[in-house]
Amino acid sequence: MVELTAAQLMLHQMVQEFSANEVRPHDMAIDRERSFGSDLYRKLVDTGFLGLMLPEQYGGAGFDAVATAQTIYDLAVGNASVAVTLEGHYKTLDQLLKYGQPSLLDRYLPSATQRIFAFSMTEPSGGSDHSTLGSTAVRQGDHWVLNGNKIMITNGGLAEVYCVLVKTAPTEFSVFLVDQDMPGFKFGKQENFLGLTGTPIGEIFMENVVVPADHLLGKVGQGHEIGDNAHADARVLMGAVAAGIIEHELELAVDYAHQRKSGGQRLTDLQAIQRKIADIALAKETTALLYEEAARHKAKGQPYAEIAAMAKTHGSRQAVRAGDDTLQIYAGYGYSLDYPIEHLIRDARALEIAEGTVEKMRAEITQLEVAQRI
Amino acid sequence: MKIVVCLKQVPETNQVKLDPVTHNLIRQGLAGRINPFDRHAVQAALDLKAQVGGEVIVLSMGPNDNEYCLREGLAMGADRAILLSARAFAGSDTLATGYTLSQAIRKIGAVDLAFFGRQAVDADTGQVGPIVAEFLGWPQLTLASQLTWTDQGLQGVRRLGALAQTLAVPLPAVVTATRELNDPGYLQPRQIKAGFQQPILTWNEVDLEADPARLGVAGSPTVVRKILAPQTKTVPTQYLNPDPQAAVAELLTALQAKNLL
Repeated sequence: MVELTAAQLMLHQMVQEFSANEVRPHDMAIDRERSFGSDLYRKLVDTGFLGLMLPEQYGGAGFDAVATAQTIYDLAVGNASVAVTLEGHYKTLDQLLKYGQPSLLDRYLPSATQRIFAFSMTEPSGGSDHSTLGSTAVRQGDHWVLNGNKIMITNGGLAEVYCVLVKTAPTEFSVFLVDQDMPGFKFGKQENFLGLTGTPIGEIFMENVVVPADHLLGKVGQGHEIGDNAHADARVLMGAVAAGIIEHELELAVDYAHQRKSGGQRLTDLQAIQRKIADIALAKETTALLYEEAARHKAKGQPYAEIAAMAKTHGSRQAVRAGDDTLQIYAGYGYSLDYPIEHLIRDARALEIAEGTVEKMRAEITQLEVAQRI
Repeated sequence: MKIVVCLKQVPETNQVKLDPVTHNLIRQGLAGRINPFDRHAVQAALDLKAQVGGEVIVLSMGPNDNEYCLREGLAMGADRAILLSARAFAGSDTLATGYTLSQAIRKIGAVDLAFFGRQAVDADTGQVGPIVAEFLGWPQLTLASQLTWTDQGLQGVRRLGALAQTLAVPLPAVVTATRELNDPGYLQPRQIKAGFQQPILTWNEVDLEADPARLGVAGSPTVVRKILAPQTKTVPTQYLNPDPQAAVAELLTALQAKNLL
């Protein structure tokens, strides 16, 4: 595990305890009910998870990227949907802190300890390819007028504040903050996804939503950069979610293989099973090393987009594979809906798509490698 | 009301190892944490302070890394923290620890209540709270599962297995806390940060005006000769005849054979 400061260690011990006592016992119910429920949500808010990485001046705790990623990992060991809801919130706050104008931050960020903020890029016409986007913002005097439709937003419907990527000219993209209370803002449908079912994934409509000029993040035309930065921040944490899922799988696999006997031997004594367990453990460590390294780079102010993409690319595939191995160790029980393994595989599968598909990330990794070497 | 809470830093419970030669706990290099019972003691002190006002001071004896448990006390809401750290304190048993802590409580002065956890989860003696009470000549309420503050003073319920004793406690007094006393809940991330921003005062044997003969190894008569894990014995189960009458006859014969009847 990454070396933590004493304050980070205390946070880690608290989150581990919270995850084991408040999250894990509800893991299967969260998947079934497609929600982690208002009680657990209240506890997350009341314990101060929403303000974990928010600077102290806005009422947060001001923990750095290393502690934030560790927290996401610890929660994901309990349930991945809970971790992903916080991931969506944290990556949005990261963009506001980096690009937001002080007057906007002073008005909005103090409320981020109590309500969820979301970042939205995808539209029905496309996601990672911004050129397909149809949402627009038009300047009118001191204000901007926003129109469009955003889908597949992490925490869409639960979040109250949204940062949206829109066109400000045919080939120019910018990011604005909109609030659910603004006239013309409407919620659409919830996605019926295969995994991470506890995280709301929703749609919003903007119909002549008027926002003050300081709701623009960064400068006009900086949307691509902000979008890429949001992806990088999200991927550090998605690597941590993947590592958390693999740890959950490893725990289940070892526990069962140790108890279960076949031909008078424990499954852990059988070479075919040993190979699977060793591979799951290896997957957990390699994924953890990648996301921790990405978080460390981010905390130190060094470039982290590539290693964050690697953490998510590697971790998401490994989490699916480790889930498959765990299912095989449990055999018939693993294939049963009465056991948690099937939902861990469904949850893991989402990570190969959300925050950029693995294909898109491999393309980005390749571009960065080429740029560095040629 | 001035309340002192004595804290012990313990290793993560799944990492406890014993030194094969000295039979002492190996504490070096382990991630420590506050003794879980002590969190209930801090919470009790904070609850009392919320009701009657005053100050909560957390106190711990040990090497510098014991600051960690004091930070947790500060994060929970204690007003200040004092660490008793000196070479002279090393090797203290429960008696020397009790003496050292009692000297610190005297030095703090005008203390109304000293809280402890019922026992530490590493050594499990449960002796230090009562020893401190004896050194100070204060009454003690051990194993408190309930505390109430009224006009008449402090009243507590002491849980002894199936029995419950309700006691009125004149102050100053020592109270040791059980898990049943309260729910300390989770530390908030912001409180954790705040706990690390406060200063911690450090006192040594000179500050305490302590008798050197009562400190550390010199003041510790306890010698641990051996520590054994309890052995589990399995006795073969004998099943009785399913017919009740035959079963009674069989049971009587078996008990008579062992001279139990």
